[in-house]
Amino acid sequence: MKLFKRKTREEALGRKGVSELVRLLGKDKVLTEIEDRLCYSYDGTKQKALPDIVIRPKTTSDVSATLKVADKQRIPVYSRGAGTGLSGGAVPLHGGIIFDLKGMNKIVNICPEDFTATVEPGVVTKHLQDEVTRHGLFYPPDPSSAAFSTIGGNVAECAGGITGLKYGVTRDYILAMEIVLPDGSVINTGRKTLRSVTGYDLTRLFVGSEGTLGIFTKITVKLIPKPERVDTLAAFFGERDDAIDAADLVVENTIVPRTLEFMDHMTISAVRGFGGITLDDNVKALLLIDIDGTGENIKHDLSIVERVCKEKNALKVKVAETEKERNAIWSVRRSISPALYNIANHKINEDVCVPRSKIKELLQKVDKINEKQEVYVASFGHIGDGNIHVNIMYTDEPGQGEIAERVVQSVMEEVVTLGGTISGEHGIGNKKSQFMELEISPQELSIMKKFKDFFDPKGIMNPGKLFPST
Amino acid sequence: MKKYFPSKRDLRLKGLRLLMSDDWKEEVSKCSKCGKCHTVCPVFLETHDESSVARGRISLAEALRDQQIVYTGKLRDYVYTCKKCMRCSKVCPSDVEYEKIISALLHGVAENMGIPLLPKIIFRYILPRRILFDTLLKVSSKLQRFIPMKKRGQMRHLPLLFMGKRWIPTLAKKSALQKFRKTKKIKNPRMRVGFFTGCLINYIYVDVAEAVIEVLNKMDIEVVVPQRQLCCGTPSSTMGDVKSSKRLAEENRKVFESLELDAIVSACATCTKSIKKDYLRTLGPSWKHMSDKIYDISEFIDTFIGDMPGVKPLEEKVTYHDPCHLAWVRNISEEPRSVLKKSSRFVEMDKADGCCGGGGIFTIIHYDLTLKMLERKVDSIERSGAATVATNCPGCVMQIADGLASKNSQIKTTHSIQILQEALRESETKR
Ligand SMILES: Cc1cc2nc3c(=O)[nH]c(=O)nc-3n(C[C@H](O)[C@H](O)[C@H](O)COP(=O)(O)OP(=O)(O)OC[C@H]3O[C@@H](n4cnc5c(N)ncnc54)[C@H](O)[C@@H]3O)c2cc1C
Repeated sequence: MKLFKRKTREEALGRKGVSELVRLLGKDKVLTEIEDRLCYSYDGTKQKALPDIVIRPKTTSDVSATLKVADKQRIPVYSRGAGTGLSGGAVPLHGGIIFDLKGMNKIVNICPEDFTATVEPGVVTKHLQDEVTRHGLFYPPDPSSAAFSTIGGNVAECAGGITGLKYGVTRDYILAMEIVLPDGSVINTGRKTLRSVTGYDLTRLFVGSEGTLGIFTKITVKLIPKPERVDTLAAFFGERDDAIDAADLVVENTIVPRTLEFMDHMTISAVRGFGGITLDDNVKALLLIDIDGTGENIKHDLSIVERVCKEKNALKVKVAETEKERNAIWSVRRSISPALYNIANHKINEDVCVPRSKIKELLQKVDKINEKQEVYVASFGHIGDGNIHVNIMYTDEPGQGEIAERVVQSVMEEVVTLGGTISGEHGIGNKKSQFMELEISPQELSIMKKFKDFFDPKGIMNPGKLFPST
Repeated sequence: MKKYFPSKRDLRLKGLRLLMSDDWKEEVSKCSKCGKCHTVCPVFLETHDESSVARGRISLAEALRDQQIVYTGKLRDYVYTCKKCMRCSKVCPSDVEYEKIISALLHGVAENMGIPLLPKIIFRYILPRRILFDTLLKVSSKLQRFIPMKKRGQMRHLPLLFMGKRWIPTLAKKSALQKFRKTKKIKNPRMRVGFFTGCLINYIYVDVAEAVIEVLNKMDIEVVVPQRQLCCGTPSSTMGDVKSSKRLAEENRKVFESLELDAIVSACATCTKSIKKDYLRTLGPSWKHMSDKIYDISEFIDTFIGDMPGVKPLEEKVTYHDPCHLAWVRNISEEPRSVLKKSSRFVEMDKADGCCGGGGIFTIIHYDLTLKMLERKVDSIERSGAATVATNCPGCVMQIADGLASKNSQIKTTHSIQILQEALRESETKR
């Protein structure tokens, strides 16, 4: 293996460029040493590509000034929140400048009367959730990575999470944004009001844009009153189909749980033992259900959920008695994604989403595809809204990689045939860009490309992402 | 970036000639890069810089392993920025044993860039020689009379004098080992335990040693203080001096294995971690039978004594600070509280398991970060409304006392065993 070159400054931006950035931003915000570049070379996909320069901006004008330099010299730029993305969004595939936005982490204001909060993009989601709670308010989007991913990253990926069925996803809570465009100009989209229909909805265009159109520097989110309390129930099943039927039956009984999560047998084996949770081997599927509201309605709903689960042959139904028990259950759920590496050291994570009624069918198709069990498949996720994470796990053994790719391809095709989407919440990045054309027709794709060209004519913003390489 | 230690050359490539086993190389691959370590790393929570959290350092270790980078001054700075509190390992969903990786990095830094001269002399020539160590410290304890600006029994830390405002306690006139040379015989003792003092308690907090022995004696436990025990080895291993740590571990093994003890107790969270856990790596599995017998003092009392009907809790409100190496590395957080609840009016503070910022060279290199962490801790303590903060680590006691003293706070800092000592004494006089 080759030693990384220590001096790439000249190649990247020319000495003049770097010194200009240093002059504009100050030395502390411009990092060019190999050690720093390595620390900003990856995200949650384990992919790695070295940036040439790491910029640690503190203000919108830092971002804008840097982009002006990059635009002039046509240097690729990438936004990075916490680098927890699962589609490769923050990986600087083509070198250039990466923005570490973790330093822009102030909550600008919380307006309890207006039900809004305005934050900088580097604010960690959980921090915002905790702060608004003090005002009796609630920011519902709750990806499993909430404790370490950033609002900026959540908006750029349109993160979902476990509260989606009842409360929707990130997109449903973004009212307005301050955005720096690739040429360094600053725009403001939307209004800080709960409704606004003036003109095209630019905000929505930028939500889920995966860092390819502009860099968000301020984000105004919508808040709602905080439900009085939350109770958690775990239901253990001996058959996968029983769990899926039970989940359906819950909703048919007009109960909309705050969360409705599913784990299959393989997933259960990966997290077994984590956080001191013991599970019998005959448990083949698990439902985790949160009900929120007031004490009265929770009691009522829980009793129905319990009955329904038992009707569908649940081996055991357990209601968490204490906050500690609740946290233990959810911390296990949050650890699934990384814990899957306990099964095998490579993972392809597909966060496909199908119409709710097609979940059983999807999982059967997946079984069929991996009939010979050449790789491991672990499925879990937001069964309430049809967003199932199908994880293909494989080892270093020769041939495994190709088999995994084949399985993924077939799964994607099935999903689209079932009327589903290839990504429910993690985004496309570079990991899924080759599947875009399965779902998006040439005409729609060309409209998307026109948007991209309009905002980023030089193609410097997050190159190599979202669109299939041609 | 500031240079903290003289290094012969900034960049020296010696390849990866590692004394240690290579298990860290596989450990590195286990990291899934999820970023969960962000949530707990006390340094990252201050800096928000990826180079100061486990995930970043693991990616540096990965590049070293794959021979893509070499040891540089910058790399050394990033390695030294780790507090080695091991919170990251505790929350890691991929079960990465970060300790293996950071130890290898520290060792690599030492091998490739050298250990700064002064610590090297201390680790290699002074720590392994108890008498020399004693003499040197005795001289210092005399000299410290001439140091200006003493305040509430604390004095300014010499190397930090120029940085101002750093209060550390004075050295004791007589070390704990000297003071408790003779084992107080107990008739028909319930148990016979060895006391591992550790350097801070031996030379500075002799009163903690006194409390440990007094309390245990009152519970019919005979306490032996082996005279030839040495430093646990943490200071040298934090600087990557594996050789010195190993030598200290071997000496301590000889000392403690030669005695017939039912258990070994320590009142220092870091020493306990070192001799109970790290020695398993340094000395191998043959240490297991000894390791199983090692307890933190509160853990020991809670496990073997349990209820103490004779003890009347003090009126005083006491809160507890969790030392990193006890709560996060060893999961011991209930036991000290349970003992404190029996000996005082216990109140909980918020973020009790947050780092106080103390600990080894980190406080010297990153004094500014240390202060930020300390400030948060002091705030939590003050909010708790307690009159005394107790903890189970002399390092934390030193750090927190420093923080409270510089704020002119009236809150006292103490080891939790001293609370029990006082409760026992009071219960006796009232009887
Ligand atoms: C353990 C684990 C669990 C997860 N669970 C979920 C889950 O339940 N639901 C879910 O949806 N996702 C989940 N994720 C994926 C990931 O956390 C989300 O995609 C998250 O939104 C990424 O945020 P980040 O701050 O880490 O962004 P990064 O990974 O740093 O970046 C993601 C993308 O956003 C862009 N970006 C970042 N900041 C900005 C900005 N200010 N302006 C413009 N573009 C920007 C980047 O360029 C990149 O394309 C999980 C990840 C992990 C590791």
